[in-house]
Amino acid sequence: MGLLRYESQVRPPLVEGDKDYHQVTEDICRPVEAAPSRLWWVGFLISVGLLIFGIVSVTMEVIYGTGQWNLNKTIGWGWDITNFVWWVGIGHAGTLISAILLLFRQGWRTGVNRAAEAMTIFAVMCAGQFPIWHMGRVWDAFFVLPYPNSRGPLWVNFNSPLLWDVFAISTYFTVSLLFWYSGLLPDLATLRDRAKLKWRKMFYGVAAFGWTGSTKHWQRHEALSLVLAGLSTPLVLSVHTIVSFDFATSVVPGWHTTIFPPYFVAGAIFSGFAMVQTLLVVTRKVLALEEYITLEHIEVMNKVIVLTGSIVGIAYLTELFMAWYSAVEFEQFAFFENRLNLNSPYGWSYWIMMGCNVLSPQIFWSKKMRRNLVLTFFMSILINIGMWFERFVIIVTSVYRDYLPAAWSTYYAPTIWEVGFYMGTFGLFFTCYFLFSKFFPVIALAEIKHILKKNGANYKAKMTEIENEPLEEFVQKHGHDHGA
Amino acid sequence: MSQKKYWQSFAEVNDPENFQKKAQDEFREELPFEDIDNKGLLDAKAPRRDFLKYLGFSTAAATLAASCKTPVRKAIPFANKPDNIIPGEAKYYATTYVQDGDVVPVLAKVRDGRPIKIEGNDMAAYTNGGTTARAQASVLDLYDTHRSRFPTRKVGDKYEESTYEFLDKTIGEALAGLGGKSIVLLSSSIVSPSTKDIIAKFPNLKHVQYDAVSYSGMLLANEASGFGRKLPSYNFGEAKVIVSLGADFLGSWLSPVEFAGGYSKGRKINEKNVEMSKHYQFESYLSTTGASADERFTHKPSETGTVALALLAALDGSVTAPSIADPKLKAGITKVAADLKANNGKALVVSGSNDINVQTIINAINNAVGAYGTTIDWSRPVNYRQGIDKDMADLVTEMEAGGVGALFIYGANPAYNYHDAPKFIAALAKVKVSVSFNERMDETTELCAYNLPTHHYLESWGDAEPKAGITSFIQPTIYPLFKTRPYQTSLLKWSGNNTDYDTYLKTYWAGILGSEDAYNKVLQDGIVEAPAIAATVAYNAGAVAGAASAVAAAKKGGKTEVILYQKTSIGTGTGATNPWLQELPDPISKATWDNYAMISMAKANELGVKLDMDYEYYPQKPVFEFAVGNNKVQLPVLVIPGMNPETVAIAVGYGRGEKLGKTAAKVGKNVYPFASFNGTTVDYFADVTITDTGAPKHKIAQTQIHNSYEDRKEVIRETTLATFKKNPNVIPDYRQKLVDDFAKKTSDFHKEATLYPDPATRHNEIKWGMTVDMNACYGCGACIVACHAENNVPVVGKSEVLRYHDMHWLRIDRYFVSGETPDDLKGVVFQPMMCQHCDNAPCENVCPVAATNHSTEGINQMAYNRCIGTRYCANNCPFKVRRFNWADYTGADSFGDNQDQQLVGKLDDVIFQMNDELTRMVLNPDVTVRSRGVMEKCSFCVQRTQAAKLKAKKENRMLADGDVKTACQQACAAGAIVFGNSYDKESHVSKVREENKQRGYYVLEQLHVLPNVTYLAKVRNTEEIIEDKHHSGEEKHEAIVPAAEKKEEATH
Repeated sequence: MGLLRYESQVRPPLVEGDKDYHQVTEDICRPVEAAPSRLWWVGFLISVGLLIFGIVSVTMEVIYGTGQWNLNKTIGWGWDITNFVWWVGIGHAGTLISAILLLFRQGWRTGVNRAAEAMTIFAVMCAGQFPIWHMGRVWDAFFVLPYPNSRGPLWVNFNSPLLWDVFAISTYFTVSLLFWYSGLLPDLATLRDRAKLKWRKMFYGVAAFGWTGSTKHWQRHEALSLVLAGLSTPLVLSVHTIVSFDFATSVVPGWHTTIFPPYFVAGAIFSGFAMVQTLLVVTRKVLALEEYITLEHIEVMNKVIVLTGSIVGIAYLTELFMAWYSAVEFEQFAFFENRLNLNSPYGWSYWIMMGCNVLSPQIFWSKKMRRNLVLTFFMSILINIGMWFERFVIIVTSVYRDYLPAAWSTYYAPTIWEVGFYMGTFGLFFTCYFLFSKFFPVIALAEIKHILKKNGANYKAKMTEIENEPLEEFVQKHGHDHGA
Repeated sequence: MSQKKYWQSFAEVNDPENFQKKAQDEFREELPFEDIDNKGLLDAKAPRRDFLKYLGFSTAAATLAASCKTPVRKAIPFANKPDNIIPGEAKYYATTYVQDGDVVPVLAKVRDGRPIKIEGNDMAAYTNGGTTARAQASVLDLYDTHRSRFPTRKVGDKYEESTYEFLDKTIGEALAGLGGKSIVLLSSSIVSPSTKDIIAKFPNLKHVQYDAVSYSGMLLANEASGFGRKLPSYNFGEAKVIVSLGADFLGSWLSPVEFAGGYSKGRKINEKNVEMSKHYQFESYLSTTGASADERFTHKPSETGTVALALLAALDGSVTAPSIADPKLKAGITKVAADLKANNGKALVVSGSNDINVQTIINAINNAVGAYGTTIDWSRPVNYRQGIDKDMADLVTEMEAGGVGALFIYGANPAYNYHDAPKFIAALAKVKVSVSFNERMDETTELCAYNLPTHHYLESWGDAEPKAGITSFIQPTIYPLFKTRPYQTSLLKWSGNNTDYDTYLKTYWAGILGSEDAYNKVLQDGIVEAPAIAATVAYNAGAVAGAASAVAAAKKGGKTEVILYQKTSIGTGTGATNPWLQELPDPISKATWDNYAMISMAKANELGVKLDMDYEYYPQKPVFEFAVGNNKVQLPVLVIPGMNPETVAIAVGYGRGEKLGKTAAKVGKNVYPFASFNGTTVDYFADVTITDTGAPKHKIAQTQIHNSYEDRKEVIRETTLATFKKNPNVIPDYRQKLVDDFAKKTSDFHKEATLYPDPATRHNEIKWGMTVDMNACYGCGACIVACHAENNVPVVGKSEVLRYHDMHWLRIDRYFVSGETPDDLKGVVFQPMMCQHCDNAPCENVCPVAATNHSTEGINQMAYNRCIGTRYCANNCPFKVRRFNWADYTGADSFGDNQDQQLVGKLDDVIFQMNDELTRMVLNPDVTVRSRGVMEKCSFCVQRTQAAKLKAKKENRMLADGDVKTACQQACAAGAIVFGNSYDKESHVSKVREENKQRGYYVLEQLHVLPNVTYLAKVRNTEEIIEDKHHSGEEKHEAIVPAAEKKEEATH
């Protein structure tokens, strides 16, 4: 009796447990309405501590100059831009999940999209710190904005990929934020309606923008979601493409590579999904949301990881092939000496990258492994280490020995302030995430109710009962021609 | 026509006159401000409005006042403007850099009363307007915060400020009461004729000249050979074959600035003239000069005599040839002898030995090859060095015995650089009246009872006679900064003559030249040249036999020997107080702020130094203890190709006294104690024992760590003369191939091989270009210091150089080319590397704010104000010539108190020295001092091109070739750098390009960044034929594999 639903027979329910709408509301609102746990406080305070460390680190750099980092005359970018690209990459999963999966009508996204979108926004916030504070004169950062000025025909340089970054990232951030927030509106209204304390009523009332749940509201909300999804979809592809142009349009061997745009996008989705895994494996446990963020979700995302990881792997091999095939000695040196050669000063970083990004995710070809939570958590960390090293390899191992051997140098260990800045962005990220998980529903309440009806365990059980009925019985029981 | 009248109000109709008046007033009512005076704010007509105005104004004013912290610096204008001085316009005064016998005729550029830059004096034919790194840096010495600022006398352990009147009286009385004990003036070589006159007229004054690094072996040998106790002029330009036995004549031997000009004449080749001089170098370590040699042979320093003797024996058989074990060396001597014979009359042999016997043999060789009268000119003996070691030794003995009553010291510092300094120090204590005239509180001055600091040369009057008959004058360019007095004035006063030295000098020269007008004229020119007097001396071979047997009988050296050498920057130690010189990378090692032991790879292996990746990529170098007799010094080792396997080379001039200031103190170690006196002269080599004491590694700040060019022909083009003659078109063919590959349609590589519009359309009539002849450049670094001075390039100190934060706009990339092992050095290539001012500059299109952009004259320019410091441009520069201000090196930052880094990037004291109000007087006001956080780089001296254009415009003429010289070009004694308008087909730069099509190339031309600096390939004059793999596919030319790389390859 498959006519009654378009959900695959083999697909297990997306929401487990015998849930009805009220139960869903209760489950998801509980963490928001209850007092924060001790664990939350510990995590939050650690995050704030890291954030303060980051602020101190950046302050030192602003006061004393970029020499507070171990960059030098040959290596102009190091941890700063590595971290930037890394965070931007992480910020890709959320929008991909919400926008592209929405357009492809992937029902499973509803369990994870809210957290993933929030993660995207926080990751982009973290990413944005690096290009801003890496400037030697950050107080003049506004020069990158094309504003009318009294300095004659002084304009920004539209040829510069860094300027494209400014536009790409600010657009991406704006659209992601709108998308996330518009999705939050019905849930905020739910929280407002449930609120017992005055300040909560006020807070969620203002935040909900007067949502009443009228049909008109829903209709506009759906339309807006589609429009924003349509806008976000190209952005998912364009942002990291443009970030990759920072390198691809340069003349540096190892940077000047046409494969970068697709390779960067795949890598971004790869690392983004890994970060989503890291967060959700913990969140579902801590907030007791295992029935909403199920093993199914974990497995589906692991499939995406093994796919994108393999794309990235092919990209790495293609780069090596092209370096060989180009017959350009500078290219060959960058790939075979600076990277492949384990005995070169940074050879180890290349092999960490290869190990973490290409070899280790292959374990997810096995279904058993895909459904192993501990392994998933471990792998998600490993992948993000690997992806960090990918950016480090691209940036540092290209420039530290490029065209003129006389200009070669090494990039020492980062200084405490470089590490501090990176740690600080973790602080920022998790501070935001902890606040988010405390004050906002980490699962899209309204959206998950949409799929509850067709993919919830409760619904599926009832439907199975009905489906097993013979046709006559079914017509008799559920038919609507009462008169006959 | 109807008479319609339009009106606006009844007032206009009824009272047109009054209306008109009112309509013309901007404010119909009385302005409220006027009322305030009479009635006070609240009673005014519109107090509310005014209140808002005042509120607005005061808020804005308070904000402005509170936020703009920029300190106010007052500039006081002249009450009476002196004639001929226009603020902002530079004046040039001819003067002379004189330091311990080194003489460079220069022009001092004076801006608003401050000398800020030294340039070579083109009027001096013999230097051809060249300068040295030390001469360039000397202007900074003027503003050295550690100069002695007033006369002092030593009371106990303290130095008490005194006055000249008091000291004249005290010292005068003391001199009178010496009771027959002698009065001695101990000085470095004095080149001033007038000073010599004063010394001669000083009653009973004994004059001892003492050179830190002595040439007395040569002086005495020349005397023995019949030339008198003098040194001749050498004419390297005339020599077809130049043989140097350990003479670093391009770096530190006698007068490199003079020799470089002549030498480079013989080294420059072009299409029409593919002949060049042949330079053989026999030496123990890799010297700056050896690096430019065509063929090098190494031997231990004690074998110099043997080599000289063998060479003489091979030339004319007048002496018995000694046995030489090393087959390579032996073959080399035979070859050199044959080549010398073939070039009789066009050959020159020089030796850096300070041994009288060796130099006597060298004189015999020069006689045998017909050098006298051709390449060696006795008509103009030189005065650079006059010290005789024995005189100094005798003086110390006399002082020890208490025979010296008074010792005046000028320009000499034996407490530091005498081979037996403790002996001198003990002897000095026995001298009753010790007076130092030295400019700084150096190691010797510290010990003297009186210090009457003399002027810096830029504050002085004076004269210098570098060569017989050629006099270069010194005139002050600034009023003395401190209470200093010329030492000549002191000598005059104490000898009973009350004239000041400047008056004395004027009278002296007016007497010689005939009139005061003539004197004024030569002061303007700076130099006066009397016709050469034909040499009356003739070579006398009488001493050869004795010298030969002495050399043959000389004791053999031990297993390992140490040789002392001078760096082009620090010299004998006089450069140690100068931050520019300390930060100047050594031509060979590329190390700054240190001395170290240079050893061969074989020695490194023997000592167990691991030549791995860490050795190459990290600055920590192993430290060993070097012992000569009882003198022990711990120094880090640097493995340098082309060293004699059993020789260790260490630079002198380091390890200076604390009182010389933070720049000199605690930098390196003093190795003068390794020198020894052999009874006649001082030897600057010795047997050494090396022990590993397990001392912690020491960081050496090198600006370049990789030594091989990795056979990257797009970067370096170097070949041999034989190869060049056989395949002269290797470079044009390669460039043609680029055209064939990338510009098939138009055959115009510039226009076609790009997506962008033709860059040429951006240029007007001028396009600045440069050529660098790598055959002429020998790496001395004068250009680097000139660039520092001209462009206010900051000094960053050792700690920052260690972090690769050095700021040099111009660097000299040095690559070793060697055979089987690094020790088998084939050649060295020096490539001055500065911004290439690319037409398709990759830095320009990546800057998000267009802070770096292209001028219509082809200059890639930096707008510092616009730069936000993303460093993207530096990453994308294939030449890596962009420099970033990592910290506030200049004190120019708008953030206050940001030079006190503690945890990371602690700044060295030298930064604070350079930021001192006094030192900052050296800054060039035409060039912005960059604040931290901005990128900077070579500007092609844009301030000079602008000034020259302005001058041409004022004079209503076109810009002529030669109107603009960049600072680096101006400083180069070898003329390796040529700059000019490449659109002018008649300009020097265009001609050089046109005449050198076979050698001219652009670095990384295949990138299509279209650089504007042409490099002329390096050609070594050897018979070796290098088959280019790009052309014949035959055996690949073996480029040097540096120590670490070799090891690295071996491991995988």
